[in-house]
Amino acid sequence: MSSTATKPPGSQLSDALARDRLGVAAIVFFMMSAAAPLTVVAGVVPTGLAVTGLTGIAIAFLAVALVLAIFSVGYVAMARHIANAGAFYAYISQGLGRPVGVGASWVALLSYNMFQVASYGGFGAIAQPLFLDWFGVDLQWWIIALVAWAMVAVLGVRDVAVNGKVLATLLIAEIVVTLVFAFAEIFSDGFEASTAAVDPGTLVGAGSGALLVMAVTGFVGFEQSVVFSEESRDPRRTVPRATYIAIALIAVVYAFASWAMISAAGDDVVARATEEGPELFFNLAAVQLGDVALHLGHILFLTSLVAAMISFHNIISRYMFSLGREGVIPRTFGRTVPGTGAPKNGSLAQSALGLIVIVAYAVFEWDPLVQLFFWGGTGGGLGVLLLVTLTSFAVIGYFARNPQGEDVLHRIIAPVISSVLLLVMTYLAIDNIAGLLGVEPGSTPAIVVPASFFVLMAGGIIWALILRGSRPQVYAGIGLGARATTTTGGFAAALNETDQPR
Amino acid sequence: MASPPQLPPADDLYLTAHDTIRGKSLLSPATLGLGLGAALLGELMLWRRVDLVETELIIIDERPTGDAATTAVLEQLRREAGQHGVRNWLAYLSTGIATDLVERRLARAGLIKRVEKRGLLSTKVSFVPADSMTAGWPATRIRTKVSRDEHLDVADLLLAGLILATGLDQHVLATLNARDRAGLFDQFRRLFPVMLQQLVAHAEAAVGDAVMARRA
Repeated sequence: MSSTATKPPGSQLSDALARDRLGVAAIVFFMMSAAAPLTVVAGVVPTGLAVTGLTGIAIAFLAVALVLAIFSVGYVAMARHIANAGAFYAYISQGLGRPVGVGASWVALLSYNMFQVASYGGFGAIAQPLFLDWFGVDLQWWIIALVAWAMVAVLGVRDVAVNGKVLATLLIAEIVVTLVFAFAEIFSDGFEASTAAVDPGTLVGAGSGALLVMAVTGFVGFEQSVVFSEESRDPRRTVPRATYIAIALIAVVYAFASWAMISAAGDDVVARATEEGPELFFNLAAVQLGDVALHLGHILFLTSLVAAMISFHNIISRYMFSLGREGVIPRTFGRTVPGTGAPKNGSLAQSALGLIVIVAYAVFEWDPLVQLFFWGGTGGGLGVLLLVTLTSFAVIGYFARNPQGEDVLHRIIAPVISSVLLLVMTYLAIDNIAGLLGVEPGSTPAIVVPASFFVLMAGGIIWALILRGSRPQVYAGIGLGARATTTTGGFAAALNETDQPR
Repeated sequence: MASPPQLPPADDLYLTAHDTIRGKSLLSPATLGLGLGAALLGELMLWRRVDLVETELIIIDERPTGDAATTAVLEQLRREAGQHGVRNWLAYLSTGIATDLVERRLARAGLIKRVEKRGLLSTKVSFVPADSMTAGWPATRIRTKVSRDEHLDVADLLLAGLILATGLDQHVLATLNARDRAGLFDQFRRLFPVMLQQLVAHAEAAVGDAVMARRA
């Protein structure tokens, strides 16, 4: 596989393959489409202010960016050495053992699904007043969410990815709008540069864990860069560069925009966030910018949520495809529609879950913004934080056994630093879970959210141990993904059949 | 009525992967290319020109095969010998090269016909099977032999393996019952040379990879 790096002049094969390879910009765009800037800045941040009452979010974005950048040093290094580099559980399987890997794969599925269904709640809740304003129709949030769900379900089964150019245009427009609005807020009347938003003291104070998880939520998607290790122009440079650029870009935009918003809202920012919700970011800038900009901002806010829901849907269906090929979940998920390559069964399963969640929230009249969008988003953020932490340790474990080809910085120094920092973050996050969700400590959501991750982790470990005893071929292929020849696609399964008990 | 002749595996796979009447592909271009690329490499192994050792393709005999498609691939393998693993060769052949070679071979043999469709802006070239009975024969042959418990020869095992690897089995082997499938799988293990087993497994892994990287 190392032959991509050696390019003798005049090699037809290398030239032909190089034409299809991705550059830094393409990978950055892909990563950021899941991160959805406006969704975070206008959606997660004000909701988070209202729910937690904490204002140190800007510094939290910067701190998390730093930790994730340090983590990425070892992460992208390990990506060069292993197959199936797109999935955390592949790293964890090879660094900490297959049982923990299977547990992590289940945690990852739950986390990504939490993000995905969260976007339905956000879309419904945010679109409802806008549709009333624009078209004069007063729809229930869940009707709007179901329309979005139907669109995602159809696109998912047909595997229609949103066109890369459309996505890139929307993303750039989103970032521009975010920055323009943030600048407008700086020049608004009530603006007073907030020190609370950037006070490093908040990172060690009460509620710091909640802030950190909210910030992690904003970065989810950054881990997808390594999916393209094999597809990139130069695996040693393109993927690391894209990863660092995306993390830095996200950090700067988010930190700046949330600082501007909190500063412009003044001392009663928490009260205003509670009252105005996701409108806060737009209201603060509206005075300066006028209606046209406001409408444009709202439209992009909605498209940003749609991009995120499609993006997470596709990530989940491919995750299930990969696990199905390995035989870790039923093999039927490892099948695709031959004509399109769409991982159809994973997509259908995700859509079924989305439908159940939307209907349940509608029937029980739970709040779509706080209890679905914010809880789902931050719950998923907590899950990703757990996965990143485990992966960081896995990088150390892997390079302890396979030190070839990487220097001490990539193998040991950076992974050890990031592991320690991430472990502290994880502790704070779990310690602060009630504050994050805005509920009483010890109440049901504060127990269910973290417990579900640990139950899935334990379940995955047990399942892996069962596989080790009953289906050693499947066990051996855990973490190798769809790419490895030992895994259970249709043909490989045929070869392996004898090794399984009948 | 006499059965149509058995074609080289890549030709059989091409016919199996296309609608027997309109010639529409049942596979995405990337998956079709990976399957046909593996089929051409497999043909070179059957010609005893190339061996697959671990992940490397080793040329054991440089002489042309007497067939233009495989000779063209052999020539490229020879020119860049030892520089790329089998997965890179599959990726390369899947960029349209394998499909093109196989289409030309089938067109020369008169088994598919070139059709030009004039659109508003451009002319679209496609291929349709000359005879839908012949085009449907490879899949029928595999199905019939498997359900009669007859042995497939190595070329047909290669074809059947690539049908599974590309996911075409959902179209053409869907009617096999569990016992037939088990019988086919048993033939793969007992009668299919290990080198070809590995080639097909690499093709299958490449197909999965294409799905993960959103290329399929």
